[in-house]
Amino acid sequence: MNLLSILAILIIGGIAGYFITKLNKLAGAWLTVLTSLTALFMLFGIKDQIGSTYEFLYFTFELTQIGWYFAFVLCLTYAMSAFYNIYFMDKYLYPNTYTMLYILSLAGSVGLFFAKDFITFFVFWELVVWTSAFIIPLGKSRKSAYIYYVVSSIGSMATLFAILWVYKLTGSLVIREAFSLLDVSTWTAIFIFGLFIFAGLTKIGIYPFHIWLPLAHGSAPHTFSPILSGGLVKLGAYVAYISVVLFPAYDAFSEAWMIFGVPAPIYFLMILGAISIIIGTLMAIRQEDAKKLLAYSSVANGGYILIGILMVDQVTFAGGLLHLFAHAIASATAFLTIAAIAYRTGTTKISELGGMIHRMPITYTVYLIAIISMAGIPPMAGFVSKWLILQGLASKGLLIIAFAAFFGSIGSFMYVFRPLAAVFLGQLAPKYDNLKEAPIFMVIPMVIMTGITLFIGVFPKFVLEMIMKVQVEAGITAVTMNGTAIDIFNGYLDAYHVFVIFGFGFFIALVLFLLMPKARKVDLMDTYTSAEFIYTPELLHYAHDFYAPFERLYENHPSTLSLYSKLSLKLKEIGLFVDYLMMSVKPATTLLWIILFIATVSLGGVLS
Amino acid sequence: MAIGDKVEIKAWEKLGDFFRGRSIWMMWYCTGCGAIEMPPTMTSRFDMERLGMGPMATPRQADILLITGYLSVKTLRRVIYSYEQMQDPKYIVAFGSCTINGGIYFDSYATINKLDDYLPIDMYIAGCMPRPEAIMNAFNELQVKIRNNEVDGWKRYKKNYDQYKANQMKAVGEVFVHDEFHE
Amino acid sequence: MTIMNFVAAFLFVLGAFAFQTSITGVNRKIMARLQKRRGPKWYQQFLDIFKALSKSSISHGWVYDFGVIMALGGIMATVIFIPIANFRAFPNTDNVFIISYVLAVGMLGMAMSASGSGNPWASIGVGRALTNMLAYEVPFMIVVVTMIYSFNTASIGEIAEIQQDLGVLGWNMFRMPLGTIVALISLQGMLGKKPFDSFIAPAEIASGPMVEYGGKHLGMLFILHDLSTFIEISLIVNLFFGGGATFLEFGIKYFVVYTVANLVSGIMPRFKIDQAVVFFYKFPLAAALIQGFIVIFTGWGVTKWL
Repeated sequence: MNLLSILAILIIGGIAGYFITKLNKLAGAWLTVLTSLTALFMLFGIKDQIGSTYEFLYFTFELTQIGWYFAFVLCLTYAMSAFYNIYFMDKYLYPNTYTMLYILSLAGSVGLFFAKDFITFFVFWELVVWTSAFIIPLGKSRKSAYIYYVVSSIGSMATLFAILWVYKLTGSLVIREAFSLLDVSTWTAIFIFGLFIFAGLTKIGIYPFHIWLPLAHGSAPHTFSPILSGGLVKLGAYVAYISVVLFPAYDAFSEAWMIFGVPAPIYFLMILGAISIIIGTLMAIRQEDAKKLLAYSSVANGGYILIGILMVDQVTFAGGLLHLFAHAIASATAFLTIAAIAYRTGTTKISELGGMIHRMPITYTVYLIAIISMAGIPPMAGFVSKWLILQGLASKGLLIIAFAAFFGSIGSFMYVFRPLAAVFLGQLAPKYDNLKEAPIFMVIPMVIMTGITLFIGVFPKFVLEMIMKVQVEAGITAVTMNGTAIDIFNGYLDAYHVFVIFGFGFFIALVLFLLMPKARKVDLMDTYTSAEFIYTPELLHYAHDFYAPFERLYENHPSTLSLYSKLSLKLKEIGLFVDYLMMSVKPATTLLWIILFIATVSLGGVLS
Repeated sequence: MAIGDKVEIKAWEKLGDFFRGRSIWMMWYCTGCGAIEMPPTMTSRFDMERLGMGPMATPRQADILLITGYLSVKTLRRVIYSYEQMQDPKYIVAFGSCTINGGIYFDSYATINKLDDYLPIDMYIAGCMPRPEAIMNAFNELQVKIRNNEVDGWKRYKKNYDQYKANQMKAVGEVFVHDEFHE
Repeated sequence: MTIMNFVAAFLFVLGAFAFQTSITGVNRKIMARLQKRRGPKWYQQFLDIFKALSKSSISHGWVYDFGVIMALGGIMATVIFIPIANFRAFPNTDNVFIISYVLAVGMLGMAMSASGSGNPWASIGVGRALTNMLAYEVPFMIVVVTMIYSFNTASIGEIAEIQQDLGVLGWNMFRMPLGTIVALISLQGMLGKKPFDSFIAPAEIASGPMVEYGGKHLGMLFILHDLSTFIEISLIVNLFFGGGATFLEFGIKYFVVYTVANLVSGIMPRFKIDQAVVFFYKFPLAAALIQGFIVIFTGWGVTKWL
């Protein structure tokens, strides 16, 4: 059992999935579940083979700590989301292609994390891009698929350029070897670094390349959005890791201009991350569709991950990697709850729903814990990662980045609360009176993910140990732990103690509550309405324009999407202008061009 | 609940009366022309707050309902709805002569004459309108009565619910106005 | 984490509750004198809370009850984390980020329970409360980050001790004056006092989140409000006014800070919620950033002080 067997199972499973789904859709759905679960378990099996390399045809793979960590996050997300395929397979127009592309995208992700040379890396990267680009239009819109593909291609082509440039300079295609042989001036290093990390930036969805995220995640099929948001954006984080740690960026830029102790190009990227946090948060607050809201929250959290990874120090780097894990689980869980609601009601628009807690309480609890983790509130996993990032930023004194981090953190309370209050709480419309709880195979993965969030929040040691190994492998001092507590030089966090004390406080409050006489249950419509008699629950439900006074402050904001449209129009205009100059019908202009050409050819040697 | 519950409830009620007699929250619902005497009672000259009384916005949070004057039939429906939304133990204080016998509107078709038929009143304040000094005096007396467990309007309402409902129906026709939106 | 720790924690919560509730009562009297009237007795707040607890109550479902319990539980846990003088209920739990974020559990629980009542006023109030939080928290946190950077510790108890070493002039009030002003303005927002109390406006939105609460829920909510006031004022006293070597010193500083906050709120009107957000992102944010840059670039107040 080694890495090649995992990849073989996935690729063969993917291709076989096409034919199996043709025979029976349900069997195809179960195949996705089985292949992703097998990949997850086999990953744990090969954990002790770290350091070995494998070859297959032209591809070489190497089992590294960082690759294993990323593959673990991805496989977990895929395995849990795959259960939903069982129920959603009937709704797709091309179920056989869906199964095949689904499993192949997992194969591509696992392959690229363990790639040893650039060509393997790029082939698997493109495999992921192509498979996901063809799954997205199976949902609601086709336009989102090709905006995704165009933005992704900008990144991929830039990275390919950087790869070929590095090959020309060093003659080697093996990732670690090529980067260590690189010996160039600072400006060349900045160019190569910038081009290489481009793919990462477009994949994570950093400003100004975030335009594809809300469109793609918002209109992708309901079972693929959790994977897009929880899994595939992490591929960009892997590229960021390679660029910053393996390059190695801090050494290459040691001659560059330093801002607050961080080299200028890296600080510039961190500012871009900070801007994406702010823009993601502000745009998420005003969304009316639950999936688009969660997609913008992925933009914001991608900013945190990028900032964490770019710092490459003891604390913030660990925080960034842990945030990767915590956000993957929380975001995937939130998307899965929305998918469960969409399965039962057929809509994800917030203003049409309401009062779902009275019919789907388990879904509500799962969503509640997911948003507690996303907002970074103890005792969930999201708090530990945010704590690490904030302590790290405070120790370096990066005030502007810290401002963006706090803005994102507190703004996240606002936008995660919006679906909670408008979809789950509030008044229940009579048309949803007969709704049932989500089916059993949707409840199981949701509960497992919730359990993981809670467990890692109370005992972060289990994931931090993996991260410490990654830090050791990268040559950074690892974050220090003291039993179950995280003990760094300017802060101390014992998540287990916090959880126990929180439980103690909860227990006191519960005792106080139960001592008093029991409350009488009343109907939802029996509520204070200034003594007006009301009979329509839909009108009494507050969901539309939830944060109206705050949204009004930035109502007329400039839109990045329209900026891109204007740029493409300008490009067309330049083309038309060249067309006008050179391809005119007047013989005089053509004659002019011919004379100029002959003159340059014959006399050009004098000028050089 | 066990055998000792009658004694237990009594002890709990006694403790509750101690607190309820020193801190009363009134519902901010001023029904008739007597409401004009409430602001002077609440503000600096007569200062209701030193008795422990203060205003609260909704019936769910309030202990006491002040009927400050005449009640038209339309308002009576809303007052009954608000009173039923309040939580036990709750009290009603009726201001002015309109609540006792109709006052100067005794022969009007749109107002009711004897409020006690429709809602259980705990204390009347005579006058047309009672001045703030009279109101403060009445609140003081009400607090003493609550501490001695002598006011039980809410218990009367629960015990004689059918009779009160019959009276209300006779006066207003329907307490909860039907769904006019979907007619 | 022994049984003694838990007993000490429970007594600490009771003591904090008793202390803050009495001071609230005294401040109601002070406010009344400000308005040329007499005011209630100093223990009136206790009477109000116990009266509310003694009434019967209604419930709109399990999340309505659960949210209140979760909120009060979170706030009680946060009180246990606060260090006063040399007393800590549990060692090493007074990290400033833990306290700020566990406070958010209280707010989330209350928001959940309020929206669970199904009343739109409650949801509007909660939306305003969250917007308010976005406004006041960000400048305050920037000042806190500056402090963590300068003193190399995020533990509130340690920051308080560092200030006590240099006597009165060692207080952060004198070392970081701009930061103190920002923190005091944020304190008005944190406590929910005018001019930033539009989320419980009685006449506009029928007291916002509290619209359906009555009986024991309302009593627990009042306890929650008192305890969260205790947490926030203790935070400010420890971070900016040197904490206190003894309980008495801490109590005096606490009383002064709370009374000043109360008096400021007594003379101000109420901001609309978008006005509040715009206000906080002008002067307080600028002042916090300037204070941060002064500390980072010149070290004035930290390395170059006395």
